[in-house]
Amino acid sequence: MKRALITGITGQDGSFLAELLLEKGYQVFGLVRRESWHRPNSASHLAGRIEVLFGDMSEGVDIASAIQDAKPDEIYNLASQSRPGESWARAPETLLVNGLGALRLFEAVRHNCPACRVYHASSSEMFGQSVVAHQNEQTPFNPVNPYAAAKVYAHHMAKIYRESYGLYIASGILFNHESERRPLHFLTQKVAYGAACTALGISDSPDLNEMGRPVVQHGKLALGNLEIARDWGYAGDFVRAMWLMLQQERPDDFVIGTGLLHTLRDLCGAAYRSAGRDWRECVVSDPALVRPLESVQTLADPSRARNILGWEPTVGFEVMVGKMVATQIARLRSLQSS
Amino acid sequence: MKKALITGITGQDGAYLAEFLLKKGYEVHGIKRRSSLFNTDRIDHLYEGPEVKQRKFVLHHGDLTDSSSLIRIIQQVQPDEIYNLAAQSHVAVSFEEPEYTANSDALGALRILEAIRILGLDKKTRFYQASTSELFGLVQETPQKETTPFYPRSPYACAKLYAYWITVNYREAYGMYACNGILFNHESPVRGETFVTRKITRALARIKLGLQDCVYLGNLNAKRDWGHARDYVEMQWLMLQQDHPEDFVIATGVQYSVRDFVNAAAKELGMTLRWQGEGIDEKGYDANGKCVVAVDQRYFRPTEVETLLGDPSKAKEKLGWVPQTNFEDLVAEMVREDLKSAERDELVKKHGYTAMDYHE
Repeated sequence: MKRALITGITGQDGSFLAELLLEKGYQVFGLVRRESWHRPNSASHLAGRIEVLFGDMSEGVDIASAIQDAKPDEIYNLASQSRPGESWARAPETLLVNGLGALRLFEAVRHNCPACRVYHASSSEMFGQSVVAHQNEQTPFNPVNPYAAAKVYAHHMAKIYRESYGLYIASGILFNHESERRPLHFLTQKVAYGAACTALGISDSPDLNEMGRPVVQHGKLALGNLEIARDWGYAGDFVRAMWLMLQQERPDDFVIGTGLLHTLRDLCGAAYRSAGRDWRECVVSDPALVRPLESVQTLADPSRARNILGWEPTVGFEVMVGKMVATQIARLRSLQSS
Repeated sequence: MKKALITGITGQDGAYLAEFLLKKGYEVHGIKRRSSLFNTDRIDHLYEGPEVKQRKFVLHHGDLTDSSSLIRIIQQVQPDEIYNLAAQSHVAVSFEEPEYTANSDALGALRILEAIRILGLDKKTRFYQASTSELFGLVQETPQKETTPFYPRSPYACAKLYAYWITVNYREAYGMYACNGILFNHESPVRGETFVTRKITRALARIKLGLQDCVYLGNLNAKRDWGHARDYVEMQWLMLQQDHPEDFVIATGVQYSVRDFVNAAAKELGMTLRWQGEGIDEKGYDANGKCVVAVDQRYFRPTEVETLLGDPSKAKEKLGWVPQTNFEDLVAEMVREDLKSAERDELVKKHGYTAMDYHE
């Protein structure tokens, strides 16, 4: 039986990946911070089916001991401070976890299990204000926030460890991938939540945004820059690409995305449509929510992943957004009834 | 009177910059780490004790890995300019200590930027970040200029790349006057003894006097763009005197191999070297047929940077940059100084006293 260690298993990707690996018959270990495990998280329903190892990416000893306990064939490094917008206020922590955390993991692999295969979660945020229309594995990075700068650091370190020490480390440059498991502070989930509130006639939402105000206030959902455009895929599809990347003969980096571009307006349109409403009556743009520096457009060229990994997304944009809105409606209904 | 704060003041660039700024009339503050050995040789001639009234040169104990010490010093000094020259600056060592390298070189730069912001000095204090040609690593075009994409090849270069981007990000997001000097290799008689240029001049001087037999080097074919540190620190200062903060490549635009450097140093000492063999078997013999230069695999880096050549056109146009010291003069000056130290050691030994050999 193959053994896999996942860092960041309590997050959206970690939980989808754990399910996929369990289905494939892996024994799954998760490196988890004690406080994230003891509150409801995306992997709570997997308790009993996965082995939980407590530890923190900011402590090299924790990582090394998790590797010694799990004796993994594959490691998936998904742990990170995952909010680019918040990375301005949490810049040192973001580098410590997203940058140095990855490095500590690579070092631990080099010394404890050099034959182990490692997937590292890079991010399309690294392209930032790239001038290239379709971003692929050759596109130069131009990070525009502390999150992206830390991810660039880890991405290059992964490459150096692969080339200097012959380790099997593959980085997935993943474009935005969403799902009903996204926490509420993510843009797509906020929109799904806003649409769900509207559908249920909730004009002041029980959940608060990062400014401490209801996400939906006086019947309106406040967002930042509505002109931004993203390549949004479904997380369930993307974790399959992670696994595929570790089944190749040689480790390499891959851009993973749908290759389709949608604006925030499109997203609002799809979400409110599935709730039976017109988004233009329910969404406002608040300048306070615009990031200091914003990558305006990111669009993947996933041809390499398609050709070499045979990877294709299966869940389309409208279907994904519909799923997210339906989940939020169900959640709000159960809150209302309790 | 302007106040400058220099991190890495005990290093080669810190010492030259401190001297330069003192001449310009600055009050110069420097941060040094506590060490069990004296590490102030390079700034000994600038030192002013606490008994001096209205000191122009003040040292503070601090560390780039210790954010509270940085905040304390920056708050105390309220500098007009900060030059972040401190770093774990050795590429080969960064493979052995990648985490410390990231902590000091990447997080260290971020900690200073954050300190400036938190203390409300973002409109007052100008920030210089010592970036490096190592960012170009596996070069994507030749020569390298400000727009050349980066391709780091060492933990050192990765950490410096983070510091580069975070400096750009803080400039653009917060409107801070912050800029990167992407400096190509710059050397001098006070270059660290473990860097290849100084290792060569020091060893050949000692070989010349019979204090050492042979020097072991890594990749003799590696090509670099070498300038003089004294010239380069002036550009660091100039970058902070512009109307708008911008990033600049500082280089000579001329390239030599490590082997060229060895030959130039030998020539300065009146030695002629005869090269024989190839790759790791290559050796350099002196006129008596004695092997004085050999290659050792251990000095190769896990991932090599074969060639670096800078295009300093932007600095020339906007800062008026013209390097004052050419390659031959740089090598000659380094050899001259190392020959003096070797002669001192020879004298000391001849009189029965101990002179250190210093190995690493």
